[in-house]
Amino acid sequence: MTDHGVRDGRAVTADRPGRERRSDGPGGQRPGDGAARAVPRHVACVMDGNGRWAERRSLPRTAGHNAAEATVIDIIEAARSAGVGWLSLYAFSTENWNRPGAEVDHLMRLVRRVVRKHAPLLLARGIRCRFLGVADPRIPRDLARDFEDLTTLTGDNRGMTLTVAFDHGGRRDIVEAARSLIRSGTPADEVTERLFAEHLPWPDTPDVDLVIRTSGEQRISNFMLWKVAYAEWVFPELLWPDFRAPDFLACLHTYRDRDRRFGGLPHQTNGDAR
Amino acid sequence: MRTGTTGANPRDTTRPADGTPVFGPDSQFHAFFDDPRWALAVIRATVLEAAHPQIGAALIDNSTFVAHPWRRLRNTFLSMRRMFGADPAVREREAARLNRLHARMSGSDSRGRAYDAMDRATRAWVVATLFESAVTMCRLSGQPLDQDTMERIYAEYLAFLAALDGDAEELPATLHDFWPYFDRVVEHELENTEAARVILYRLFDHLPAPALFDGAPTLWAAGRAVAGPVLGAITVASLPEPYRRRAGLPEMPGAQTLMRGAYLAAGLARFLPEGWLNAESVIEVLSLSPASDDPRSRTVAALRGRMKRASALLRLIGPLGGVPHPAPASAADPGEGRRSAGEFFHQVLDQTGDGHLDWPDLAAMARELSTRLDLDEPEETRLYDAFAAWWRELQTALDTDGDGRVSADEYAAAAPSLAGPALIRVADVLFDVTDKDGSGTIDAEEHQALFRTAFHRDLTTTDGTYGRSAFVSDFLSFMSARRTSTPYDPLLAEA
Repeated sequence: MTDHGVRDGRAVTADRPGRERRSDGPGGQRPGDGAARAVPRHVACVMDGNGRWAERRSLPRTAGHNAAEATVIDIIEAARSAGVGWLSLYAFSTENWNRPGAEVDHLMRLVRRVVRKHAPLLLARGIRCRFLGVADPRIPRDLARDFEDLTTLTGDNRGMTLTVAFDHGGRRDIVEAARSLIRSGTPADEVTERLFAEHLPWPDTPDVDLVIRTSGEQRISNFMLWKVAYAEWVFPELLWPDFRAPDFLACLHTYRDRDRRFGGLPHQTNGDAR
Repeated sequence: MRTGTTGANPRDTTRPADGTPVFGPDSQFHAFFDDPRWALAVIRATVLEAAHPQIGAALIDNSTFVAHPWRRLRNTFLSMRRMFGADPAVREREAARLNRLHARMSGSDSRGRAYDAMDRATRAWVVATLFESAVTMCRLSGQPLDQDTMERIYAEYLAFLAALDGDAEELPATLHDFWPYFDRVVEHELENTEAARVILYRLFDHLPAPALFDGAPTLWAAGRAVAGPVLGAITVASLPEPYRRRAGLPEMPGAQTLMRGAYLAAGLARFLPEGWLNAESVIEVLSLSPASDDPRSRTVAALRGRMKRASALLRLIGPLGGVPHPAPASAADPGEGRRSAGEFFHQVLDQTGDGHLDWPDLAAMARELSTRLDLDEPEETRLYDAFAAWWRELQTALDTDGDGRVSADEYAAAAPSLAGPALIRVADVLFDVTDKDGSGTIDAEEHQALFRTAFHRDLTTTDGTYGRSAFVSDFLSFMSARRTSTPYDPLLAEA
């Protein structure tokens, strides 16, 4: 039953003209489908372990965030050249606002600097950038403006789509979608999974196929709850600042093997002891 | 002398002795229409107008040129085209409309001197500045007019004044007498009015982007930062020396050269192939918004998209925090598709851009609506009366300090109570006058007249028409719920 709903959802996104050029090959990669694809269409990364990386080196936590920048750029390039169509990065959750004020401030400044520094590169590489969340009034106006500008600037790119979840909460998105459904006056009987998904932010985004959460933590943490319904998860032990392109490719490899085994256990999760 | 009789007989000027009509496509005035020098000359003429104490006071009180200069420019242009067009019926009607419009403008300036937009001598001065600026523009660009042409142009302007005022008695009958008249007014009557200062030093530095550049505020602001002061300097340098002295305007080294260079360069456009420069299409394209159904708007939308991306890139690669935000999205954002009280006050209510809401602001709205709908009497008066009643309602409800006008703060404090019975009445009357054929619904053509667009896709239309209740509720949601992206936005909010 649920599988049917997903099938419908896929059909919708693929029908949208001009939006979805990356739907490589027919069939998709529904769980248990058997028609496995070599590369997941949509990969999401939960960038965990920056603080611990810094603590292990007796550096302030902020140093860990600074070090994360190199990984982000590395992974974007790796994903693009591996043929991943959609890459999502979990940069800042709605819960992250509870961190110490100085760290939050530093993060805001850092993100702004990173966005501005790499904007021309992202444009040149044909990467379409979007931001998921970005609703909190605490986000500095300049930063929100930069997000908007980067989205506008790269909006016509047809390469990989990079979604940065910033001030994102999976539950909040679902609640917002429910609100928007109610406001649109849809009768209760007509609400289907497919219709509901159309009210989520960036409805053209396909379901997540693979989530990589670094640093060995094994939690969902309120991340794109609707879209990860059928995702494969890998939990490399590496901390995010140490995570590099080869590690990313190893995760893709793991995913491919898992898919081929119809959801069986992975045999080569990078450094994962469990 | 042929040309002498032309000037001496202004009441019969539609067909002077040589047989060429004063109005219509063969007139000298038409030749200037598409001349880029004319853009500079009109700015100069406007400063000379505004320097007249009566006109200056009327402009400051009533004109929307600070807050909505592009709309104002377009209206003026269309009006001039009607006045100088070949059809006498159209001209007569436009003159009547202009007279009704100006009859509603009177008051007193900051020093308590009365002004009246129907004052005949003052109106003659407006025509005089236009004529003198046309002559001066030719002189400054190194292509002076010969005496015959000058006389001919003078006859055209006299005829223009006669069409407006019934006769041209207030201007000297001959060109020979015109120059002493002009010099006398410049030397004795003109002042350094606030309106002239606003035009010279504020207008171009704060010029809001026309609809076309709306999506590229950074690009616009950057261009304006350079062009604004240059235009100001050029205009100052082109003003008559006695006025510059009296008004205490600065003499900048090189300004004269810059001004002559600008006029000369603009004059070079005469070597362009005919039809390349067309003022009308320039103005129309500038005021095109992507929502309109004009076939060009697709191209414009694409162009805007490109400009938007260019300015996004500009902002992103610019130094951190270097570019100020033209329209800050405040933390207290009232939600999707709505304006904050402050934004609404400045974009819609304060039409004259003086920071206060008073009757001239609402009169400007009524003026804009009746211009669009091309209203005759008594519909025009009905619309004005409805706006006047709304003004009384607003004043009673909002003017808490009793100074006779409503400040932005007073409005913000009481914003939710804006939708009183008088506003609903405005919507009702607006519906009546828009519904020209009295069918009880607004059809596509009537919609086009008011909003300059076809029906919007998501409009609550029933079988291709727009009913009274939907119309009234849309108007109210624009005015009191401060909704954006309604068809009223290009009408009342756009620059």
